Amino acid sequence: MPPSKVDRTIAYQLISFIFTFMLIIFFVSIVVTRIMYSKVMLNIQLDNMRHLVHERVYLIDGILNKVESLSRTFQTLITDHDMKRAELLPLLQQTMRENPQIHSICVADNVFEDEQPLLIYMMRHRFIQRTIAGQDYQYQDWFQIPYISEKTYWTEPWIDTDGKGEMVISYAVPMYIEGDFNGIIRIDIELSYLHGLITDQTFFKKGSSFLVSTTGTLVAHPDMNLVMNQTLFSMAKEYDAPELARLGTAMIAGENDFIKIGDHSPFQNSWIYFQPLLSNGWSVGIAITQSVLMEEVNIILLIQTITAIFIFLAVAIVIYIRAMSVSRPIKKLAEAADHIGAGDFEAEIPRSETSHEIATLSHSFYMMQQSLKAYIQNLQITTNEKNKIRGDVIYASEIQTKLIPQNTEHPLGVKELRAYGILQPAGDIGGDLYDYFLIDEDHFCFVIADVLGKGIVAAMAMTMVSTLLPAIAPYRKSSKELLQELNNFLYKNNIESNFVTAILGVIDLKTGVLEYSNCGHVPLYIRAMDNSLVKYAETHATALGVFENLEIGSDAIQLHLGDEIILFTDGVTEAMNTDEEFLEIKGFEQILSHLPLRNPEYIAKGILRAVQEFARGSSHKDDITILIIDYKHPGIEIGLVAKDNTR
Amino acid sequence: MKNKLFPALGVLILISLFVLGACKGRDSEDSELNGPSEVYTGDSFEIRYCSKWHPQAQFSGIYMALEKGFYAQHGLDVKIQKVLQSDAALDSLESGALDVIHLDLLAALQVNADSFRVVNICQIAQRNPVLLVGKRSRGINSISDFAGKKIGVWRTGSNLSTYAFLEDHDLSMEIIPIDWSISLFTEDAVDVINIMCYNEYHQLLLSGIKEEDLFVVDLNALGYSVPDEGLYVTPEFYKAHPEECQNFASATIDGWFYAFSHIQETVSVVLERMRKANIKANKTLQHEMLNEMKKIVLPSTSEIGILKEEDYLRALELLYKMSELQIEMKYEDFYPHATE
Repeated sequence: MPPSKVDRTIAYQLISFIFTFMLIIFFVSIVVTRIMYSKVMLNIQLDNMRHLVHERVYLIDGILNKVESLSRTFQTLITDHDMKRAELLPLLQQTMRENPQIHSICVADNVFEDEQPLLIYMMRHRFIQRTIAGQDYQYQDWFQIPYISEKTYWTEPWIDTDGKGEMVISYAVPMYIEGDFNGIIRIDIELSYLHGLITDQTFFKKGSSFLVSTTGTLVAHPDMNLVMNQTLFSMAKEYDAPELARLGTAMIAGENDFIKIGDHSPFQNSWIYFQPLLSNGWSVGIAITQSVLMEEVNIILLIQTITAIFIFLAVAIVIYIRAMSVSRPIKKLAEAADHIGAGDFEAEIPRSETSHEIATLSHSFYMMQQSLKAYIQNLQITTNEKNKIRGDVIYASEIQTKLIPQNTEHPLGVKELRAYGILQPAGDIGGDLYDYFLIDEDHFCFVIADVLGKGIVAAMAMTMVSTLLPAIAPYRKSSKELLQELNNFLYKNNIESNFVTAILGVIDLKTGVLEYSNCGHVPLYIRAMDNSLVKYAETHATALGVFENLEIGSDAIQLHLGDEIILFTDGVTEAMNTDEEFLEIKGFEQILSHLPLRNPEYIAKGILRAVQEFARGSSHKDDITILIIDYKHPGIEIGLVAKDNTR
Repeated sequence: MKNKLFPALGVLILISLFVLGACKGRDSEDSELNGPSEVYTGDSFEIRYCSKWHPQAQFSGIYMALEKGFYAQHGLDVKIQKVLQSDAALDSLESGALDVIHLDLLAALQVNADSFRVVNICQIAQRNPVLLVGKRSRGINSISDFAGKKIGVWRTGSNLSTYAFLEDHDLSMEIIPIDWSISLFTEDAVDVINIMCYNEYHQLLLSGIKEEDLFVVDLNALGYSVPDEGLYVTPEFYKAHPEECQNFASATIDGWFYAFSHIQETVSVVLERMRKANIKANKTLQHEMLNEMKKIVLPSTSEIGILKEEDYLRALELLYKMSELQIEMKYEDFYPHATE
């Protein structure tokens, strides 16, 4: 199995998984906090604004009320006590001294008796008194409105050109003596004084406070460009902010409320709380931008976020360290396993006590290493022994090979014959045998045998046969006698009860008579010069080595000039192809039909090649033995035969 | 009167052609107005001018003509003098301290009742800007509702058409003479007030009063279409410097054309002048004022700067009706451009 290509470590996977999970939790937590805190903080801040505006309203109303009360006092002194200007003057001066917020006082009494109004104001710590010339004053708001409406009146801011030329607001009280209009008493407060009270930074640090007159005019605001130049309605139009017009309408209507103003105005994105002054109907407002309002929420969110990051980092580090302590022994185990895999069975298996699982895994690895070591030791012993046996077998095989006659042009120098034999064992050594030898000058004996089974035992049996037959042949000239002797020998000496099939033939070189016996062996073929093929399938006994004193028959065949005796073992006919079909006798005969040339070596090799071709790819293996003997009658002309069979 | 009408009409056409010639392409080719197209090379002629009120968009034409060099282009060195009310301005004109002043047509005619003292060199307004307004919340929903109520009327200046309206509609009202303040109205000290459509009307709207809350009478629409402000000089000055007077009028009209085609820039110039004069400067109000002035100054491009004879005659008629004054003065004498 190839090594995994996954390069994500356990630590990486744990951290990324936990990070994702924590991220979701923190995100949800921040959103929830934001929503909930926003509402809470907004309410707290709005309450705070409300209290601040209350406080400022009471302060300014206190000042304006005092002015109102002083004005009424002077009005009473003039109208009810008939106090003249000369008597009134010290009182007015004392009042101005005690109330520095009073900018000037104007006494316009007896106006229809051609008395000019008297104006008192202070300049460089000295009181200035002057009368107002002409009649134009009667068309100014401070005079005309209370005169016509017969009510006290707080003016809009105006520039007192008769006095110091400052912008003031005035409280004007109409005076009546015995029901007839007598004139106006007026007390002025400098607008900048009120402006100072409103825009005082200690009053409200986080936002801007402002004062709006009854015409919606901004009479006090931190931005001096707006003061007296803008009304809430003109700003609504200029900045296309209709909410400012709504604010203006509510403020001049004397309402108190919160209003949210959008982005496009000097009150950009602000909450505004406003409340009217009870004295003159003006309205005090406080504006605080949404971002300032949410400052504390944002700080909480920032703290929360930083905490979250720290927690995440801490958790990540702890997980990383822990994951590494788990994965390190695993990594070492993997390295040890690699060493063992490479053949180093002495590699040290790391021991880890970090966790039960890792300790168990280490132990299992250790046990596996020990088992492998023992197994490999056994394997080495076995392999050594096997190698030794194999050496013996190879030696045996060499011996076996030497027992088989070497192929020569004329076997054993017999001019009448040509022979060629092939023995191809399935393993190192085989159980097949072929042999030929001269019993005497005139008798040529040949044998082909197949010992049932394979391996050493079969080879031993084969060796016995091949050594016994030449030894006994001089005394038993017939094939059946030779085989009977062999049978009895095998019966007596056959440890494994192996039996042997064999064809043994004796050719009388003088007469050309072949006497042969077939003991349970595959058929014998004789092919004549005209290519006619005769199969001799009859057996003369069962296989050898099974029954004692076996009765064995024989047959005699007169060989003719050029007859080929074709012998083989069942390894040829039982050769199996990949479809598990045997070659069989029929297939063998077909092979022979394709081998027309009359030469034992050519035919033997041709048969072997064809059988091997047939069995190619098949796992079935058996010993294959082929022996071809070509008989030439001694009476024929050598030249004729030689002419046909030139080698 | 009728036999005078035809030659007067001919003269009017000639004047129209003259003015149109002077203004050729001015409303469409702004680039020509951005700088002097012909630089006057001779000595510049000084003209001392005084407006009738503090700086505001009502005088945008003068400011922009000055700002853009249209006066200099005509060889004029215009000096804007301190604001003077009509009587003081007239005195200064007579004494020679001023050369050109702003006057309402009716006021100018009244000035000439005794002797011939001012001539019109440029009629800026082409319609009567006076409105009468009342709060619906105070029960003013029609003209007849005016009866028995208090009305604030300017104690000086453009009040004749208001009085004529009250007389014609037989409305008995308590007249409260006022200066310029609208506080009497906002404080409900009066029920109806006369105001200028370009100024106080918008002041009211910008102090939180809604249009639908007001009942408005447009005197011009009711036939009291006597145009008000124009530029005036003494007959002597005119006789001595007719060309300079024409150039002053022409450059002022150029200034108005420029102002109407460059609203934002003009409002900025006006606001700057207001700030320098240390008076309240409300951008929105000045914007609205300039838009209203366009309706008054430039009802159609053929009417700018001209005192039409029918307007002159209508003003005289109103004056005769509302006062004892007898003015023996020809249109051509009062408005000498007519004969040029």
